[in-house]
Amino acid sequence: MEKGELLPVLDSSIEMIRRISGSSSDVLINRFVSGGVHCALLCCEGMVSASVITELIFEPVTDIPRQSSAEELYRYINEELLLSTDRPQVGDYDTLFRLMNSGFAVLLADGMDFGLAFGVQGYASRGVQEPLGEGNIMGAHEGFTETVRTNMSQIRRRLKSPELVMEMLRKGEKSHTDLCLCYMKDRVPEALMDRIRRSLDGIELEAILTTGYIRPFLEKRSFEIFDSAGTTERPDVLCSKLIEGRAALLVDGVPYAIIVPRLFCESFQTLDDYAYKPYYAAFIRWLKYAAFLAAVLLPSFYVAIVMYHPELLNSTLFMLLADAEKRAPLSILTEALFALLMYEMIREAGVRLPKPAGGAVGIISGLIIGDAAVNSGLISTPLLTMTALSVLSGLVLPELAPQLTVLRLAFLIAGGAMGLFGISLLACGVLVNICATEDYGFPYTAPFSPFRKRGMGDTAVRSDIRKLQSRGFTVEEYHE
Amino acid sequence: MNEINGRQLGAMLLISDVYFLFCLKGSISPAALTGFLAASALQLLFALGTAARGGASVRPRIFFLGYSVFLGGLVFSSLWSVGGMIYIPCENGCGIWGRLMTAALIAAVCIYISHEGIKPAARASVIAAAAGALCLAADLAGSVSGGDWKHITELEGRGMLSETVRGFALSGGTGSFAVLLGSAKGDRAGITAGYFAAKAAVSSAVLLTAMAVAGRIAEITERPVITAMQLSQPFEAQRIDSLFLVMFVVFAVFTAALYMITATRLMKELFPRFEKYRSAAAAVLMTAAALVISGRELLLLRAVLAVSALLLPLTGIKRSAAGNSG
Repeated sequence: MEKGELLPVLDSSIEMIRRISGSSSDVLINRFVSGGVHCALLCCEGMVSASVITELIFEPVTDIPRQSSAEELYRYINEELLLSTDRPQVGDYDTLFRLMNSGFAVLLADGMDFGLAFGVQGYASRGVQEPLGEGNIMGAHEGFTETVRTNMSQIRRRLKSPELVMEMLRKGEKSHTDLCLCYMKDRVPEALMDRIRRSLDGIELEAILTTGYIRPFLEKRSFEIFDSAGTTERPDVLCSKLIEGRAALLVDGVPYAIIVPRLFCESFQTLDDYAYKPYYAAFIRWLKYAAFLAAVLLPSFYVAIVMYHPELLNSTLFMLLADAEKRAPLSILTEALFALLMYEMIREAGVRLPKPAGGAVGIISGLIIGDAAVNSGLISTPLLTMTALSVLSGLVLPELAPQLTVLRLAFLIAGGAMGLFGISLLACGVLVNICATEDYGFPYTAPFSPFRKRGMGDTAVRSDIRKLQSRGFTVEEYHE
Repeated sequence: MNEINGRQLGAMLLISDVYFLFCLKGSISPAALTGFLAASALQLLFALGTAARGGASVRPRIFFLGYSVFLGGLVFSSLWSVGGMIYIPCENGCGIWGRLMTAALIAAVCIYISHEGIKPAARASVIAAAAGALCLAADLAGSVSGGDWKHITELEGRGMLSETVRGFALSGGTGSFAVLLGSAKGDRAGITAGYFAAKAAVSSAVLLTAMAVAGRIAEITERPVITAMQLSQPFEAQRIDSLFLVMFVVFAVFTAALYMITATRLMKELFPRFEKYRSAAAAVLMTAAALVISGRELLLLRAVLAVSALLLPLTGIKRSAAGNSG
């Protein structure tokens, strides 16, 4: 909503500010006389540093010698004093409130239809800490914070190149959330940046409170199982993506950055891969691919084979499973669904509860429910083993947890209802969905399909850093 | 418009060829292998002519639409026929309703694939083909260790002409090749040569494996390749049939999807006003065709259609060239 230009009469202007803010108690209006002119310094309580505002604004401003007019006062402040490095002019009430709510102090003088703003931010914020979701052994232990400026500085500290561009945007009709679009201008084609900007122009949300509000605008298709816009909470990972010619979006208030475009194979890569020897990194990557398949398919294959295709088992395994399953009162599919849903409930309880209680949930679920369920014969031991193995495999890829959970259940139902035939049908659908995922012309499944031989050096294996260095890879190679 | 690359087109077509090879009925022998290779060589010659003239001009669209629907029907029909061998739970013992349910499920997946378009289908086909190649390699390993290569010389086949006709008949990709070649980017002659070379290699690998593993059983079993795949067990402790079952169904789905994509593409050109439900219409037509075919192999008809699919674009081009000069 347009709130109009600043009024030149200070009293009227202050009256207007009170009216617009509804006399909100955190809007602080300090009136004083400086250089013989009636002034007011406005700020938002809790958003500015009291010590900085006193030292850098109040003390110099109250020491200004008498001036002939308000214009002279502004000229003196602008030209003789260095109150703050960030000093935008304020011409309207929209800008005034936006700056005040971003930690600026705004000086208004009687007779002037514009104000001077000074960046004196001093709101409480979390310091740089180790990221919780993206563990790393050999790399940096710094993660993004909720403050976009701090996150920008973390990136700039790692990439000192002048090619690194950081464009500030503001989105959210009510929240006025600061977004920062980062890219290396020598690596990202301008056409891609234009398309990303156009996507962001489509955002007409009232508030942006997490990355999930923005990602749908960057992902083109309505139904994608996997995310084609990735996130990271690590500045070092983000820097590596920027160097590869991707664009990133930082959101104020969120300790995650969005990365565009994202590829499926990136879910299986970590920064630690480049700290280890190539053979070990390649082994870990293949282990993760195997874990992905096990996490999705293990319970469904177990159920399908035991229910519909027991002839596929060798006699020893068949006898073992038959012996275990004949004591279970429920059907194998029901057992498996029960075990998986119980796990999901326990996991959700563990995530939402306070940490001490979360530990108790683990003990109760593991020792009491798990042990009791097996001992009472409610669930067979082989099935519980398969479920546990599947869940454990899923934990290898924490960023794919939502997809793994849903796919595991879907494949389980398909396998339980129609055996391997059902699993195969669903596999076709899922495979095509993954292959159809494509944003801004970058296929999600690259470099596997469409196959790019050059991409295999850092996908199927992890080549020597010297080879990767000479390759000069950018994601543009995968563009179709 | 170049939507897919040659490798992707090749993967899509190879999957359909291998699927029909899996469903092959009757005995297999070295003569069958020679017939398949001869058929592939002849098809390559015809196809190179199409590729050299651009390949995109598909004048007799009605023919190709009918051919795609017919082949789609064959996929469903053959899947019904082998349902007992590959253990499709909803089909076994449920009669016609079980069969229709199987067809409906596959059709639903195919409609989804067709709805997503040729690019995702082509990309997925490459991955499916790669997985299939791995399974085939496992089966080949089993045949090398467990099979008896003497079987190959003991098997008696039909005449050369008959086997060549069978080779033509079991070519699943010729119609789609003629229609989709124009959508592929790259050197069309190279794509054509690569595809038929790969087809010859894969057919040889499958048939040799089947002969080595199944031996004389191939003469009495209804589907010798499926039987051979089930008999080939490279690992002592565990059977790998499950892998084959999964691959068989995946190949069936991608084969049916290929024909559905071809059919919907042709419908779009023939009936531009018919925008919605093109894929569903193709699925219904294919299911109806499957009911009509009802498990019959129709080798001669298929061979004639396969040859026509490669020759018709050439005659169309010649005619249009004559028209232009006149």
